[in-house]
Amino acid sequence: MSATLTESLRPTATPELAKRVELSAIDASTRGPVLYFLGSSILWLILGTVFALIASIKMHAPEFLGDSEWLTWGRVRTAHLNAVAFGWSVNASFAVAIWLMARLARAEVRHAGMLTLAAVFWNVGLTIGIFGILAGDSTSIEWLEIPPYATPILFVAYALIGAWALITFRFGRSQHIYVSQWYILGALFWFPSIYSVAQVMLLLEPTRGTVQSLVNWWFAHNFIGLWLTPIGVGAIYYFLPKVLGKPIHSYYLSILGFWSLALFYNWAGVHHLIGGPVPVWVQTAGIAASFMMVVPVLVTAINHHLTMVGSFSALKYSPTLRFIVFGAVNYTLTSLVGSLASMRSFSEVVHFTQHTVAHAHHGLYSFFTMVMFGAVYYIVPRVTLKEWPSVKLISLHFWTVAIGNIAMIGALTIGGIEQGINMNVLPTNPDGTAGEPMAFLNVMAQTLKWLEWRTYSGILITVGHVAFAINFAWMLWQPRKPGITQPALFRNAPDMEVAR
Amino acid sequence: MNRAPLIFLGIFFTVAFSWTGIVLTNHLMYADLQPVFDENEGRAFPQPLPGDALRGKEVYRDLGCMYCHSQQVRHPGFGTDIQRGWGERGSVARDYIHERRVYLGTMRTGPDLRNVGARFAGEGGRNWHIQHFYNPTEVSNVTLSNGRTYGSIMPPYRFLFRTQPIIGEPSPRSVQHLLPAKDQPPVGHEIVLTQRGEDLIAYLLALKDPPLYPEEARRVYVPPAQPDRGEPRPGTAPESTREVLQ
Amino acid sequence: MPEWFLYFVAMPMAVLIVSSAVYALYWASKKGQLRNLEEGAKVIFDEEEPLGKPTDQTLNQPKPPKKKNR
Ligand code: HEC
Repeated sequence: MSATLTESLRPTATPELAKRVELSAIDASTRGPVLYFLGSSILWLILGTVFALIASIKMHAPEFLGDSEWLTWGRVRTAHLNAVAFGWSVNASFAVAIWLMARLARAEVRHAGMLTLAAVFWNVGLTIGIFGILAGDSTSIEWLEIPPYATPILFVAYALIGAWALITFRFGRSQHIYVSQWYILGALFWFPSIYSVAQVMLLLEPTRGTVQSLVNWWFAHNFIGLWLTPIGVGAIYYFLPKVLGKPIHSYYLSILGFWSLALFYNWAGVHHLIGGPVPVWVQTAGIAASFMMVVPVLVTAINHHLTMVGSFSALKYSPTLRFIVFGAVNYTLTSLVGSLASMRSFSEVVHFTQHTVAHAHHGLYSFFTMVMFGAVYYIVPRVTLKEWPSVKLISLHFWTVAIGNIAMIGALTIGGIEQGINMNVLPTNPDGTAGEPMAFLNVMAQTLKWLEWRTYSGILITVGHVAFAINFAWMLWQPRKPGITQPALFRNAPDMEVAR
Repeated sequence: MNRAPLIFLGIFFTVAFSWTGIVLTNHLMYADLQPVFDENEGRAFPQPLPGDALRGKEVYRDLGCMYCHSQQVRHPGFGTDIQRGWGERGSVARDYIHERRVYLGTMRTGPDLRNVGARFAGEGGRNWHIQHFYNPTEVSNVTLSNGRTYGSIMPPYRFLFRTQPIIGEPSPRSVQHLLPAKDQPPVGHEIVLTQRGEDLIAYLLALKDPPLYPEEARRVYVPPAQPDRGEPRPGTAPESTREVLQ
Repeated sequence: MPEWFLYFVAMPMAVLIVSSAVYALYWASKKGQLRNLEEGAKVIFDEEEPLGKPTDQTLNQPKPPKKKNR
């Protein structure tokens, strides 16, 4: 903290001369910004969940809060998306990325003030943005709804964090770049590139006609693929071996996974436009890339699985591991479903249905959010030097969100396929000719039961989020026990089945 | 050993690659798409939207209609859009060249609206929209074989209307005569459509793509009749010419 | 797609991109960047958190033995 900017720009020590910095000192140095980002992310999570519940109820009971213009479905749904994507997910990824970067670079955080300032900018910008959406200023461009007057504030925040990450990386003391750092550095570079291109080509100087849709889906899919996915996968590559105390099964595979992800994910976004008024060859490229995504996904899945083999009993003890393993398994599942859904014949049926909603939650929630939960359970005790106050609340959190997730994604996947078959497939008459399509209102009516399921599972998930938020607040609140330099629960792990 | 430069190069390269492929090439390709002049009509198509419809499009944006409604007709043979009467032909890129913002949409909780102006037109169309916005559940509902009646899940947009006391003459824009008994205003009051509501309806009435552009129609290749698909409908492009059209 | 575009823009660009990727890989392997990859997996462990020691045991702690009432 005492270092000035000029000092920090000069490499202070060559790696050989570097004195090893204690991990606990590094952890402590990240406390301010990490807690600030996590605190805000959890507030956004709760707010986003409330928006989600309102939107979900409105979808089968449209008269619920029906006369409120601010809470009309189109706005509240958009507020939900932005609150959880840019509020919860991005804040949480910043916290996790900062903590991981500092640890992996073996450098204490300098200029923590810069990060805290970034956090303030990000959250103020986002608050203005979500308020703007509820007030009717949404752009209605999917994933870019935040009104243009709020985005510059977000860019300032981003620039501060990016600069900080580069400084930390450049002047870190570690001689190796661990694969998690690859993922995080990639994400930190990719996100501002795609975000600024999308802002320019859609809002400042809109491109012509349907090219806008291409830019839109190039951005939106890459927001998930090149920002959230690398942060999530990077976190898995750190926490999985760390909790188990054994290295990742094949480091080589992890790097292969990184490059194949970087190459193929980029192109996959176009599969949201299959059958639409955009050139067929881009659609085909998008389908091919989506299909090629099987490579990084299977490589990563095999690698994680082989690392876990022999240590499954650790799931009993470690909340981090539970959440991370749940997330890792769902990363595989959701990506494989994504590859399948981008096939032309499958897309013909499930595109434009609730299946898309299921798939988005599968990736963003069952994979990404669960990994972030796991990371939070690991990081916070280390930066605060306190224990989680209630183990019961942790269990409650895990089981409610896990069951809620499976129920919601199951219901919407099956419901989406049913809706798609009803809407997009012509029935065959007895004489073999194609019949009339099912009336639209019948399609809608048959989908309702699944939408009700979503509300029930959403209530379960809300319970989990509240448990999580209470535990977090309680932890910050409780006084630190005197004389503690390391959280005890991490220190004593003697009778756990030790890694082989 | 420091791999940082290599990693950075790769990270930059991958995103630049996809941007070039997906965004830049198509941006260049579509740069010269022009409206087509139709000599019979003496006008060029597609036509830009008139002013009130453009204001209505802002209401469409603001209220998030596009999260339930798409604006793209799928080509014959892909989905059932044509059979549902959502359009006479699949949408092509040329249809969108005047639009400063394109709402193709990715969800069909409600029907496609690309040609809704052809289904609801004129005074009758306007009246239907008024009734529908006020009370979608009652205007559109269906009784399934299980005996239950399901109303539309489109949200009501009653905030696009205003109840006001009648001062002097009733307003010519009052709409309560279109609404059912239970929605009638108190005595001495009337319900009028706000300007935003008028604009939104103007937009919906204007949403309609022209028949196939003559320039592209000339390029349509008619395949030998396929027994299972029947004859290609006049004015629609058969599946095998999709590539040409786009 | 106009034909000139395919031959004079798209294809040369593709060739350029692929060959630069191949060259980057070649350069990397010559510089020895691809050797000793597997060692990298262990850099996250150190004396403070050594290899072979699991680090999170928050749930299902063994209960401390109860004090007997005399
Ligand atoms: C929650 C999803 C939802 C939202 C948001 C929504 N709609 Fe709908 N809309 C539907 C459904 C479902 C139907 C079909 C049943 C019916 O006719 O109400 C429909 C039908 C329609 C129809 C009739 C189309 C036809 O061909 O029968 C029009 C027009 C329409 N909506 C316009 C709008 C406009 C304008 C908005 C925004 C102000 C909007 N909708 C917002 C779900 C939605």
